[in-house]
Amino acid sequence: MAGLLVLPNGGPLTAQEADLERGREVYDRWCASCHGVEGDGLGPAAGYMLPRPRDFTRGLYQIRTTAGGEIPTDDDIMRMIDEGMPGTTMPGWQDQLSRRDREAVKDYIKSFYAPFETMAEPEPLDFGRAPRATAERIEEGRIFYDSIECWQCHGDTGRGYGSSGPELEDDRGYPIRAVDLTKNWKFNGGGSVEEIYRRLRTGMDGTPMPAFSDLVDAGFMTDDQLWNLAHFVRSLAPDDRPRVREVIRADKVEPGQVPRTVGDETWEEVEKFFIPLVAQIIILPRWFDPAVDGVWVQALHDGEEIALRLTWHDRSQSPDPAWMQWQERVLEVMEPVEGDPVEPDPRPDRFAVQFPPVIPDGMERPYFLMGNSERPVYLWQWQSDRDGAEPARARGMLDVETLSGSIEADAQWEAGRWQLVLRRNLEPSDSEGRLHFETGTPIPIAFFAWDGDNAEEGPRGSVSSWFFIYLSEDPPPSTYVAPVVAFLLTGGLGLVVVARAQRRERALGGGTTGDPDPAVHPPPHDDHRDDGADGGGDSGPEDDPRPPP
Amino acid sequence: MRDYLRHPFWQAIAVFVASYVLIKWGIPYIPPLLGFSSAMVPSSVIIQYMLTVGVGILVWVSDNEARWKRFKEPIRNLLVRPERRRARRVFLVLVPLLMAFVTYDAVRPKVTAPAGLRSVHPANPTSITVNGESLVLEGLENPFREEGREEEGYELGLEIYYQNCMPCHGDYLDGQGHYAHGYNPLPLPLRGGGTIAQLTESYVFWRIAKGGPGLPREGAPWNSAMPAWEAFLTPEEMWAVTFFLYQQAGISPRTWDEH
Repeated sequence: MAGLLVLPNGGPLTAQEADLERGREVYDRWCASCHGVEGDGLGPAAGYMLPRPRDFTRGLYQIRTTAGGEIPTDDDIMRMIDEGMPGTTMPGWQDQLSRRDREAVKDYIKSFYAPFETMAEPEPLDFGRAPRATAERIEEGRIFYDSIECWQCHGDTGRGYGSSGPELEDDRGYPIRAVDLTKNWKFNGGGSVEEIYRRLRTGMDGTPMPAFSDLVDAGFMTDDQLWNLAHFVRSLAPDDRPRVREVIRADKVEPGQVPRTVGDETWEEVEKFFIPLVAQIIILPRWFDPAVDGVWVQALHDGEEIALRLTWHDRSQSPDPAWMQWQERVLEVMEPVEGDPVEPDPRPDRFAVQFPPVIPDGMERPYFLMGNSERPVYLWQWQSDRDGAEPARARGMLDVETLSGSIEADAQWEAGRWQLVLRRNLEPSDSEGRLHFETGTPIPIAFFAWDGDNAEEGPRGSVSSWFFIYLSEDPPPSTYVAPVVAFLLTGGLGLVVVARAQRRERALGGGTTGDPDPAVHPPPHDDHRDDGADGGGDSGPEDDPRPPP
Repeated sequence: MRDYLRHPFWQAIAVFVASYVLIKWGIPYIPPLLGFSSAMVPSSVIIQYMLTVGVGILVWVSDNEARWKRFKEPIRNLLVRPERRRARRVFLVLVPLLMAFVTYDAVRPKVTAPAGLRSVHPANPTSITVNGESLVLEGLENPFREEGREEEGYELGLEIYYQNCMPCHGDYLDGQGHYAHGYNPLPLPLRGGGTIAQLTESYVFWRIAKGGPGLPREGAPWNSAMPAWEAFLTPEEMWAVTFFLYQQAGISPRTWDEH
């Protein structure tokens, strides 16, 4: 810095100034839209995001390797720029910006918080190495999870539905959700057991997540207990993020065996298809804070009926009076307010499954957001404050008309999760506007979800694009005949080849095939003719005990 | 071991397997380690390559009489030698089983989505009506290209983009916004030579104003999540965001030929 001070005004930039200037350019172009030109987290896009973009002027960083309350290391900031933050709107920039630009941005970001200049870069904590995951460790971790009351925010199944949920706020007073621990691909600091352990040690500054390093140092808990806890948390999520497939398969079961309830054990064996849901930001009024981010779909049919079991995570059974304050806070901070202002209100949770009214011939389908005036869609609509579900016809999200009849439904909210079974005959009671399910053909299907306690209804909710559901048929007999024919043909051919080779061998004077005693077998002839000569003779296949003629 | 390495039959097998490994996994995964981009080799191309390798190996083993004989030795041994009887039987069962499995895999009913052919940049209409005003697209220019209006266009466009487009098209205009994964087809990237660089600004303006619902049939309008932005934005704002896209992506629009 000293060298900088003696430069006359207007003189050439020092290398440091030049880097900071480069950092400013890159920052203003790629970061300021969310984080603000002043670094205060108030860029033009900030109001459309929850959690909000980081305010760099406060010097608080969630993902660090340093103790709670400390500034991060340079490497910590670089890691966030490079890899982004899963579960938030922050993307990784590693493949987008050059190393030099990212370094420059890092230095520029630090310049928003003066203590970075005066404080020495802190030493990262020593995290040691992860012990191996064992059933005992995971069980110990579960007990520890209960004893230090992680469930207050994360819920006792980890689905993020703890009783403090409606009150949680970040350092700037914005509503914040406790993460759903069963979806580790959405953990802000990464979902591996090492990363979970680090968050436990360092906490996540600016969020309600506390740091436990001090308690370890003070002897209130041991490092080993935190590793157990990290292993337990990791065990709540699947090994891999669910893969999205375009076709949901509905297997065929014996007649009358289609399950009617969510608790039916038949479902445990049925494959789950994960369908991602995202914010509805196309039809007015839009909604940029959807609570439901995906649904697992299972399907079965018996040739007469079809049943779907839908499983999605939801932090409350709406309408829940405890969550009214959450509605108020979310509505207050989320832009845009389009149409009439929305008031907090006891709203039910809702779910809808969408089909075309008839299976289309080609690829042409109704508009994926509940059709339009020319091409309506057929819906199964369910809501948490009513029994059963209703068939409906929609000509757009704002023009939904209930049809007569009903869809059988069984629903249960338990520990942060809805499960819903919807069931109908393949053949509709009345063909008007209602889909006739056919087997053996892909049928378009789409999904919608609303969390009432997150003020969602109408266009404010989560949507999917079109997927397909395929009702399996009994395979045609050729499926089983063809492999048998292939086996016999190939096997027969093999026997013929062997028999021919052995016959020729004998014809050429070997005469050893089928000889059970290898000791009397002479060395192979290198000089005999291998092809062209069918040696004649009538010897059988390889194991024919008859001597050569 | 050394005997095996010197034997033409095992050499041929080794070359064949090594070629397969190299084509299947080496081509996609080795160049990225050295900083180059690469991609998986399509299976039809793999088959072509492997056929070539196979023919090459056959030419090599058969071009010399002694080598050809040695090459055939293990095969003949397997077929006739009594002490190979057990291996022979295993082969006679395994190979037909493999064929049965391949056949089953080919004939079993498969669950696949119907193939959708979709034109990404379908032909545009000659004119559109926006906000009650009829606009002929040919020759239509972006008002923010006028001298002195660039900065205004960029500033306004930036705000519009990050409040409306970014959730799908991404911070970096690469089509990887935080909601992009939920839509099929995926939101288009706006940077790079194959995207809006090929289009005139009036085409981009048409796509923004009319969105997915305004696509012709070959553009699969029922699937597109692109809103018809004329419901949200003024024509001025749509021109501004068009201007911003080209500036931010660092590319130029196609221009109308001078008459």
